[in-house]
Amino acid sequence: MLPSPSGNWTVMVGIGGEYKPEFAGSNNGRFAPVPIFSVRRAGSVDQFRGPRDSTSIALLDIGHFRAGPAFKYVASRKADKYAELTGLGNVDAAYELGGFVEYYPVDWLRLRSELRQGMGGHTGTVADVSADVIVPLIQRLTISAGPRFTWKSTNATAPYFGVDAVQALASGLPTYNARGGAHSVGFGSQISYRINPQWEVHAYVEYEKLLGDAADSPLVKLRGSSNQTTVGLGASYSFDFRIR
Amino acid sequence: MRVKVIVILACAIACVGLGAAAAFETRASRLQAIKTVGIISAIGEEISLTRAGLTGLDNAAQTASISAWGLDELIVQQATKLLGGRFHVQPVSYRRAAFAAIRDSAVAPVNLLRSDPFKELVRSDVTPQGLDAYIVITRARSKLGNGRNVEGVGFAEYRTLLADYGLIHALYEVRIIEGKSFDVIEKRAAAPLDNTGTVRIAGPSGPIEATFEDAGSSERLRAAIANLIVRSLPLTLGDMHLIEGQ
Repeated sequence: MLPSPSGNWTVMVGIGGEYKPEFAGSNNGRFAPVPIFSVRRAGSVDQFRGPRDSTSIALLDIGHFRAGPAFKYVASRKADKYAELTGLGNVDAAYELGGFVEYYPVDWLRLRSELRQGMGGHTGTVADVSADVIVPLIQRLTISAGPRFTWKSTNATAPYFGVDAVQALASGLPTYNARGGAHSVGFGSQISYRINPQWEVHAYVEYEKLLGDAADSPLVKLRGSSNQTTVGLGASYSFDFRIR
Repeated sequence: MRVKVIVILACAIACVGLGAAAAFETRASRLQAIKTVGIISAIGEEISLTRAGLTGLDNAAQTASISAWGLDELIVQQATKLLGGRFHVQPVSYRRAAFAAIRDSAVAPVNLLRSDPFKELVRSDVTPQGLDAYIVITRARSKLGNGRNVEGVGFAEYRTLLADYGLIHALYEVRIIEGKSFDVIEKRAAAPLDNTGTVRIAGPSGPIEATFEDAGSSERLRAAIANLIVRSLPLTLGDMHLIEGQ
């Protein structure tokens, strides 16, 4: 075990893995490694974070209410990587920029909402709403769970679920005009256990049911699934160091 | 192309390194020039009771006055003892309540952009003026649980389904304010005393078993808080290069 002297900064390093759909609407999953790294003031609480949360910074923080900018990276979709996408062409990586608000009416209930505008692979608007009940069984063991809802505009939906005439010819799928609206509802749960002040392990599952035009897309109906499940786990090691 | 990128990266790293070294050098030389200091402490006027974790709806933090405990006098006394070997420490007078009333803005960028409010207070409120530097010790803040902030001196309860945890805290930060220009030479929050606690917060704290509800509990609570301060002050001042050998 690495030394863990007392100090004024804490570094957390770790590795996780995530088994998630190969692409939005896919029926198959793939495993991807997830690095874990953070630096924070020693003793700072590792604030509750949901697996679906965007990267965000709380510029406004009055304890039970936090708000600030949020960013999410949406990986590109390469048509040649998966047979189901043959003929649909690539979708570039998207960068979603926006903001979040988070409210804790009590310490064990988090309500969070994000609104982001896409750039690159899609140019639409995405809104996420979630609630998490956070129950510390003992201080070291915490479970959380709650519902999720996502709304997407037409420009955020069409690149991934629409099929134009050219794509229809190349893919064999019928043409489909995917419009925006309620995109998905879901449920997520996670468990984290702090073995000691240094080691922490966690696991989570996120289920998402595609709705509306995303669920009705021929890509989903004929070659994929509207049921999207992500399972992840990870372990991290925290150590303090002192800067003088 | 690759060589060009490596050269640019190396130049960037060198610039950052030189900048950091220059800043450190400036701070070190400014500290070396200090001969006389005054100490201001304003953390000990009140104690808070905060509940986090599995709490009910009525869980607002409560506060009580503890000015009779004389914690600020203790801090000034301890700091004077620690700094006395290197500096000439002069007693100063100030309105403690004015220092204790200053709060960080909830909007983080405001704290970065606005002038440090303690600078102005030292300039306008402290006598005598003209010392080389003023050491200002005020409340610091930390998160407890997910949605609660704790600051200064306090007693906190973290409730879970199967167990409750209690801790006391003395969260403070130290500023070195130059006595002529009133620039903040350095500002640092006191670090935790160790990293073994079940419930951690970002500053000196310790677990407690007692409920502090019986006779004599006030004195025991004061002694426990004072112990945190006495143990952490040498570390914090050492981290700031104000005293040696910590």
